[in-house]
Amino acid sequence: MKDAELAALAQAGDREAFGELVRRYAAQARRLARSVLEDPDDADDAAQDGFLAALRHLGRYDPDRPFGPWLLRIVANAASDRRRRRKVRQVQQIPPTMAAGEPAPDAVADRRGFREALLEALGSLPQRQRMAAVLFDVEGYSHREIAEVLDVPEGTVRSDVYHARRTLRERLDAWKDWRESS
Amino acid sequence: MSETSPFDHRPDAELGDALRAALSAGDDGQFARRVVAAAETELGTDADPLWRLLGSWARPALVAALLVVAVAGFWLGAVMQRAPGTAGNGVALGDPLSAADTERLDVPVLLAGGESPPSVDAVMAVALEY
Repeated sequence: MKDAELAALAQAGDREAFGELVRRYAAQARRLARSVLEDPDDADDAAQDGFLAALRHLGRYDPDRPFGPWLLRIVANAASDRRRRRKVRQVQQIPPTMAAGEPAPDAVADRRGFREALLEALGSLPQRQRMAAVLFDVEGYSHREIAEVLDVPEGTVRSDVYHARRTLRERLDAWKDWRESS
Repeated sequence: MSETSPFDHRPDAELGDALRAALSAGDDGQFARRVVAAAETELGTDADPLWRLLGSWARPALVAALLVVAVAGFWLGAVMQRAPGTAGNGVALGDPLSAADTERLDVPVLLAGGESPPSVDAVMAVALEY
């Protein structure tokens, strides 16, 4: 069943239809919220807020347009609101000398270290760039759809994706250099 | 990282995979159940506003309807009692030949008093008198 059909059923009170929509978009919504909020629990709360807000406002959804960008815009707003309300922890930059004197990582620590480095690099980006990069490179949305999610011009999305990629590569290349040298 | 140019309009698969692995929290099914449960709670209070509205109207509407029926019954009863000639079965037929009726109609005793029909002379006498 198509998203628009599920949305119509959910609006009419079909809770199973709403559940199916949640299952379809849970992963995307959580990742998008996680790109805004470093704390995973905060991110899940924001994603849930987004789903519930979408449920309340299903009457405003245009069934002729894709459901994903409409939903993710609500989730992005919920995550941004939560970030503003809460005092989030400051993102620590990866120091170039962080590996000095530390033991060489094994495979597990290597993966964990890479993940942490990636999240820290992502956290160092402006909020809109993070979401643009995640929506484009992870979720596969087009620049136009991301522009709809973020409520900015399409050219701004292209610029955000470009700057986000460049910063992420620089940070991760630095991490790789450190790993290889340690 | 990938050698894809930052200007590339295609998604960077390697960067995308790495970000997906870093951002995915796992057990999306449990999260979905949590959201649906929260929605159930919300739907319990906010959903079906029409039915809740109608439900809130049901008891006052029933009381109002009973009041209207009672007032209408009382009014109809009062009207029926005041209406002339509607006692009993609603049809009142008096005796047309009773003395009271003949007096009220001013029929001369000469014509209505006897047990046999009046003679032609009596009728003519009464006609000439009037």
